[in-house]
Amino acid sequence: MDISVTLFGGLRHFLPAGSSFNKCTIKLDDGGHLDELLELLPIPARKKYIVIINDEKVSREAYADITVHSDDEIVLLPPIKGG
Amino acid sequence: MAWQKQILRVNLSTGSCDIEPLNMEWAEAYLGSRGLGSKYLYEEMDPATDALSAENKIIFATGPLTGTMASTGGRYTVVTKGALTGAIACSNSGGKFGAELKMAGYDLLIIEGVSAKPVYLHIEDDMVELCDASEIWGKTVWQTEDLLAAKYRDPLMRFAGIGQAGESLCRFACVVNDKHRAAGRSGVGAVMGSKNLKTIAVRGTKGVHAKDPKAFYKIVNDVNARMTDRDEMSRDGTLAMIDVTNGFGSLPTNNNRSVRFEGANKLNPEAMHSPNENGHTNIVTNGACFACTIGCGRICKIDPKHFSVKDRPEYHGASGGLEYETAYALGSACGVDDIDAATFAGFLCNEYGMDPISLGGTIAAAMELYDIGAIDDSITGGIKLEFGSAEALCQIAELTGKGEGFGADIAMGSKRLCEKYGHPDLSMTVKGQEFAAYDGRSMQGMGLAYATSNRGACHLRADPYGHDFETTEIEGKAKIVAESQRDVAFLDSSGLCLFPGGCGWGLEDYRTLVDAACESDWNEARMLETGERIWVLEKLFNLKAGLGKKDDTLPKRILEEPADVGTGKGLVCRLDEMLPEYYQLNGWDAEGVPTAATLKRLNLN
Ligand code: SF4
Repeated sequence: MDISVTLFGGLRHFLPAGSSFNKCTIKLDDGGHLDELLELLPIPARKKYIVIINDEKVSREAYADITVHSDDEIVLLPPIKGG
Repeated sequence: MAWQKQILRVNLSTGSCDIEPLNMEWAEAYLGSRGLGSKYLYEEMDPATDALSAENKIIFATGPLTGTMASTGGRYTVVTKGALTGAIACSNSGGKFGAELKMAGYDLLIIEGVSAKPVYLHIEDDMVELCDASEIWGKTVWQTEDLLAAKYRDPLMRFAGIGQAGESLCRFACVVNDKHRAAGRSGVGAVMGSKNLKTIAVRGTKGVHAKDPKAFYKIVNDVNARMTDRDEMSRDGTLAMIDVTNGFGSLPTNNNRSVRFEGANKLNPEAMHSPNENGHTNIVTNGACFACTIGCGRICKIDPKHFSVKDRPEYHGASGGLEYETAYALGSACGVDDIDAATFAGFLCNEYGMDPISLGGTIAAAMELYDIGAIDDSITGGIKLEFGSAEALCQIAELTGKGEGFGADIAMGSKRLCEKYGHPDLSMTVKGQEFAAYDGRSMQGMGLAYATSNRGACHLRADPYGHDFETTEIEGKAKIVAESQRDVAFLDSSGLCLFPGGCGWGLEDYRTLVDAACESDWNEARMLETGERIWVLEKLFNLKAGLGKKDDTLPKRILEEPADVGTGKGLVCRLDEMLPEYYQLNGWDAEGVPTAATLKRLNLN
């Protein structure tokens, strides 16, 4: 299935080639989990981010337990500071 | 050394300009800039004084690292009693003015009294004079700088002054330096205007000396190497935050009726970097303050075909563009998604000398008053002040700068405006100061930080960001806010910018630089204690000014109306649960008054 992921702030600079400004589409097996999806994104390990699915923040410990659906709205936010 | 060890005291009532030694005992205890300026103000002035009276003083304070080669070492602070808030005002600015003032030989410039007629201050090292300002009074910040630059013919002369907003005592008038950098918040420009002081022109040639230049040079380079994450800040500036808060659901929209703005993608870095239908791109380049190796500033141009500047070529050049806070205040807060209109309103702020956060926050409140029918066209002078109206935003911004029409009402600030028209609850302010670009419902720590900020609602008095984006639960937030308020007080007092903290630096990097530049040992314990002492001193100023626990609060909307969308959907700010713990962690009593033991520990007796 195709999953649309939005990367905000500086994370957008790690989008796969051919993506739009801050969105990309990732192919994931049906029934795939969030941790598998995140591994398919070329974000360096040193870059920290938080994941929001359908307006709910997801805790890191739950990544492997969350099944991703094709209509999920998945957003990755870098923990940047204000200005 | 790092400190110049002297201050310049200018009395506008008598016309005297005196050079005095810096009180080194105070410098050792309060470091510089925000901390040292606050100490002088606290000792020399009754905090109950009216902000716009001759008895108020206005202090331009540099830090020990201002004017050094340390990255971002160009900051200075304007310390006074705020015209907007009645609280202590510490407005920090970058650009090049602060470093120039320091190189002229002064750690602090203290202005007192009031001049009988408009004057400006001219400083070239030890030569200091008050000059007649009749030719520049009534001019914009930009015109003033151009006229004086032509007169003195020194390209390195720097200026910090007010526009017409400061002259007409707009409550959120700011002090603008280098044309588009500002000591923005709390109405420090109105205080300058009340003194009939138009601008300060300064040129310094003395340099600034670290205690061990060789060791300092090495540490500056070592610390710079740790600024590993600055590329994104150079490329997108603080504006990158708009996508983050919008995605998270903490971007104040339509006077905080919502926490998400549909038009955010028309104000974000993509919009700024992409050509519009006329082929015009908003951003021209980035800009940097003195000695900065980040360069987060946005230098932008308005589309010459845009309605705001179509027949006004004077606005077709490049100047300071939208940062995150201005994109919020002149954008989402007013429901405006027109990047050129918001950029134009930002230019007007720099030109007339207004704080864009307070201007936008006040216009947003006025739009809500208009929306509910509390004001109408007869009051706005026919302007259709509807949320989302870019035309109304531009018109009102210009009227406010000039102090004309309904702009004179806007110039009162949101609190006084909403009180005047019978709806005080619609003012999104703390201690009379308009919110910055974060909503305290989805960001509970920020809610506490706003409520307890000594200068009124402010996003730069604490650092709850990381924890707030992690969780909306309140456990741990009081501690994070209390501790980071002290850390920030120390950093602000060094003469450096806070933004390297988001680009790889930690507190230890700042401390290392202070320690390398200044005499005596600046170890971690001393750093933490100094930050806390500064924070508590500011609190004491406010208590004496008549502010107390009743003022450590948030608008009803944030405390009672749940957030509509996002990760904080359904939440209100749980301030009443966090505040007692916050007071206790600070060593303050239940009323928020520092206890005798706390004062003793910090040598504040
Ligand atoms: S990071 Fe930005 S605000 Fe800070 S000193 Fe550099 S250019 Fe100025």
